[in-house]
Amino acid sequence: MKVSLNWIKEYVSIPANFDISKLAYDLTMSTVEVEEVRYLSKKFENIVVGSIEEVRVHPNADKLKICKISLGNGEIKEIVCGGNNLKAGMKVAVACPGAMVRWHGAGDLVEIKKVKLRGVESYGMICAASEIGLADLFPSEEGNIVDLSGFDVEMGTNLARALGLDDVILEIDNKSLTNRPDLWGHYGMAREISALYDFPLKKFVPFECPKTSNLKVNLENTQHCLRYIGIKIEGVLVKPSDFEIQRRLWSVGIRPINAIVDITNYVMLATGQPLHAFDADNINGSITVRFAKSSEKMTLLDGKELSLSTEDLVIADEEGPIALAGVMGGKKDSVLPKTNKVILEIANFEPSRIRRTALRYETRTESATRYEKGIDPERCDQALSLAMQMFADIFKDMSVAQFGDNYPKRFLRKEVDVSLDWLERCLGKHIDKSDIINKLSRLGFEIEFNQNIMHVIIPTWRSTGDISIPNDIMEEIARMYGLENFDPTPITISFSEAINQPKIDIDRKIREYLAFRCGMNEIFTYPWINNKYIDALFLNRDEMLSLSAPVSSEECYVRSSLLPNLCKSVAENLRNFNEFSVFESAQVYFNKDFESIYDSRELLPLQRRSIAGAYVGNSENVNSLFRRVKGIVESMPRYVHIEPFTMKKIEKPVWADNVVWLNIIQKSRKVGNLALLSKKASLACGIKNSAALIFEIDMDLLIPCPSRTNKFMHISEYPVTEYDLSLLFDLSVKWQEIFDVVKDIKADNLIQDILFIDEYRGSQVPDGKKSVTFRLKIGSFEKTLTSSEIEGVAAEVIKRLKKDLGAEIRV
Amino acid sequence: MKDKLSAIFNKGKEKIEKAETIEELQNVKAYLLGKQGLLTDILKSIPNLEVSDRAEIGRLSNKIKRDFTDMIESQREKICLKKSEISEDFDYTVPGIPPSSGALHPITQMCYDLNDTFRSMGFEIFQESDITSELYAFDNLNFPPNHPARESMDTYWLKDYEKECGGKKLCLRPHLTGASVRYMQTHKPPFKFVYPGRVYRNESTDARHERAFFQYEALIVDRKFTFSSGKIMIKSILSKVFGCDVPVRMRVGFFPFVEPGFEIDMSCLVCGGKGCSVCKHVGWIEIMPGGIPHPNVMRAAGLDPNEFTGFYVNIGLDRLVMMRYGVDDVRLFHSADLKFLSQFR
Repeated sequence: MKVSLNWIKEYVSIPANFDISKLAYDLTMSTVEVEEVRYLSKKFENIVVGSIEEVRVHPNADKLKICKISLGNGEIKEIVCGGNNLKAGMKVAVACPGAMVRWHGAGDLVEIKKVKLRGVESYGMICAASEIGLADLFPSEEGNIVDLSGFDVEMGTNLARALGLDDVILEIDNKSLTNRPDLWGHYGMAREISALYDFPLKKFVPFECPKTSNLKVNLENTQHCLRYIGIKIEGVLVKPSDFEIQRRLWSVGIRPINAIVDITNYVMLATGQPLHAFDADNINGSITVRFAKSSEKMTLLDGKELSLSTEDLVIADEEGPIALAGVMGGKKDSVLPKTNKVILEIANFEPSRIRRTALRYETRTESATRYEKGIDPERCDQALSLAMQMFADIFKDMSVAQFGDNYPKRFLRKEVDVSLDWLERCLGKHIDKSDIINKLSRLGFEIEFNQNIMHVIIPTWRSTGDISIPNDIMEEIARMYGLENFDPTPITISFSEAINQPKIDIDRKIREYLAFRCGMNEIFTYPWINNKYIDALFLNRDEMLSLSAPVSSEECYVRSSLLPNLCKSVAENLRNFNEFSVFESAQVYFNKDFESIYDSRELLPLQRRSIAGAYVGNSENVNSLFRRVKGIVESMPRYVHIEPFTMKKIEKPVWADNVVWLNIIQKSRKVGNLALLSKKASLACGIKNSAALIFEIDMDLLIPCPSRTNKFMHISEYPVTEYDLSLLFDLSVKWQEIFDVVKDIKADNLIQDILFIDEYRGSQVPDGKKSVTFRLKIGSFEKTLTSSEIEGVAAEVIKRLKKDLGAEIRV
Repeated sequence: MKDKLSAIFNKGKEKIEKAETIEELQNVKAYLLGKQGLLTDILKSIPNLEVSDRAEIGRLSNKIKRDFTDMIESQREKICLKKSEISEDFDYTVPGIPPSSGALHPITQMCYDLNDTFRSMGFEIFQESDITSELYAFDNLNFPPNHPARESMDTYWLKDYEKECGGKKLCLRPHLTGASVRYMQTHKPPFKFVYPGRVYRNESTDARHERAFFQYEALIVDRKFTFSSGKIMIKSILSKVFGCDVPVRMRVGFFPFVEPGFEIDMSCLVCGGKGCSVCKHVGWIEIMPGGIPHPNVMRAAGLDPNEFTGFYVNIGLDRLVMMRYGVDDVRLFHSADLKFLSQFR
């Protein structure tokens, strides 16, 4: 919202030398956010009023003329100009060197310099209205320059001063005004400034209702229309309004139209109360405020044709709707050039109704914006006072033909009791009663004390919801006192138990483990997933929840698995990288198991924290990729302090390769999967020539260990020998079987460890065989073993593997 | 002969001590003790000596030989200690082999930094679900029934679950504050906790707006807590995040779930508060809303607002991370693009 400082000064006395940047800062800290302070006169630097002394033809150009211009104090300059309406004696706007203008009202601002035009030196420019941003104030024909002859000013006066445009505009962030309906007008801002600094505030003179016939308005629903003042004014006509009014409107970005419309806009911007003027000749019979009938038709002022809903509040005459209440007038009864009587509406409507209607027809007018904030019905009086004053000033022959103030139930001020003890406890500071009275009464509050209870009567303009509870009063006192004037009080620490949240910590530990120990990169993706990836991974849509207004119809489901977006990111990153690994930790959701966990009034779906990762590399290296990912999963419990994992084949994930897959088991419960993404799924996801080894774990199932669980083992004083064996096995023999056989060998407890080293398949070994290399750690806790004792152990191992698994010595 | 030996000894000793490289020492060794070495010549000539001299010269020569051997050995050690055995051409500019290096997402990193700070101040960490109901997203938080945030153009509502869900619509949480009420309902006051999480808004995206972004909520509830203490909390968070003392100001702001509500600004770190394009020339950057929980919120949490008060802030993590690293497009955070993410190792 734009606020004109000159306008505000009409209502509150601000000292002439008052620092505007301080005003902006104080308003930002205590009231609303001032986003920008703009000095309008900046636009008009080096533009002055001059008068044309003489016009003569340009020797080298038909369309150009040479003007002799007086700039005051005897200064005469020559300017080349192409304006159509140039004539001697005319007062004009002269852009001198250094001024910024917009050529022919279009493009960027350019700086005026002394130049030669067709061989004739030109000092500056005689401006058209559009060239100095004044087209709205001086509408004129194309090619004409601004005629300022009507202004009684000295030559050489800066244009901003000459036209009274040396104003300061405060640009207020509308969002910060949402809860302050009282500030949506200049008078409201003036009242706030008056309160902040204790500057005197001007009051509106109440309108003396003339003795005329009553203008009857039928209010069908007094809940949604709380007040309706209708005034039939005769003896008006459509003409431009006074320049002072136009200037005010223009300075805050509103285009002047004609005196009648300008009055309604002016009063709205002054008081925050919207008004509407109907052409009285086009209203048939009495006025009714009612809900629209189903599919009732109406055409808005801007030509938009509406088919109304029964939710819409309308102003209607006996023929039908003439205005969408509080939003916009209708075309039929709008003010037209021949209008000479109007019905002025000053009314109060219920906010949410107005907001919904404005939204429904995408018509968020200045009027609707104000109504939806919640205006108090008492404000109609201010608007009435100001509007009638202006009508009387502008139309000398005007008369009030009919008047009606339909106000069925007087609006009551809200009242709040505040305990002073509570106030002091919350503010952390004692504030004297007299100080409280001083600050609150400046804002229009009335206060009575009953011992330690403060009874506050809230002014009408803040009684529509803004202030209703003790906390609101606390805020008023705190902001008037200045939030910066409360010294920080140290936070007192109370000793309690150390924080122990193992379930929460699992997530962080897993992420840190994957990133720092396993070298994976954490990614974030959206919770909504593309149908392409759902189908590519054969996931079940029935299990998923969906959005009612998705960004695209292809992304209406929210994830029941992290894999769709993980695979999407794999496919995308493959454009830049051949080998990489990524993981994500986030929630997944299921369309089942709805439960009331916190509150019986709601049912929430099953939601689980999940973590998933992908290790991506050349599809020829599936073996090593598999071992890396398996290693990552196997070592996770140790690092994260959770119960250990085992891996088994129980249930193949739908997206997994037929051979390379495992389920991750913890305490005999399946908690996740580890598998190669199947070729079919890979291709459908756009992953070509690469293999993706994927794991996913349901984090909510993981069981934390209360502490570290591994036990200390005594260290042997005697040497341990590492003994490597390479044996041939059938291709079908699994390492686990080899391990189990060796583990089973007693050998006087001399085998301390069995480690897998390598597996080889290929031309060096016979068909149908593979060579498996593994390492035995052989040693005793009692003595140093002799080489024959060591060889004996190895021989035993070979013998048992030959017997149990058909192992052969590699030759 | 004795003189000759003593001359050999002196000469040998000097040569050995002068040797600066292993090679030189090797040459000296050959010169003295080699097959044609000086001392070897003497030893070879012993049988030609007179018998009476043989024993003494022999003993003397052998002693010198032992001395030479010892001296060469100790000189070798000296040379080795003084000088690397690695070639002078060793290229110390080749890059190191990095340890396997992944990265946490920059937002996660910021979140963990904050978690550490808050835990050190005795805050618990709270986590809740993404999907919530209208009851907790809006009703409990004092949002009037017609509040614009409830519209589908703002909130991601789920499709057709009102019936199953007790008449309450479900949505992806539009903010974290709703679930803070869940914490308050299930814990005994006084308490202090933080709640990091992702929230969702149905809006069009650009370099400064995202549909999914991270918030970090901190809430203190106690019988006595003044809002001015909140300022200390905020200052300590920011100094942890930015590693320096950051001026902070609180000004009036409005949010339905707090009363009074504050906008909390930090001094612009780009210009040091003088005013620049980043801070729209005001020297301050809006970083979080805060305030005292609204009495209706306290009531929804089952707490008596006359007995308990508190302080609340909600930090926009994306914005903070953007400031920390100078990231200029918020959409990069959800891009899953390793070209971006690998910079935060």
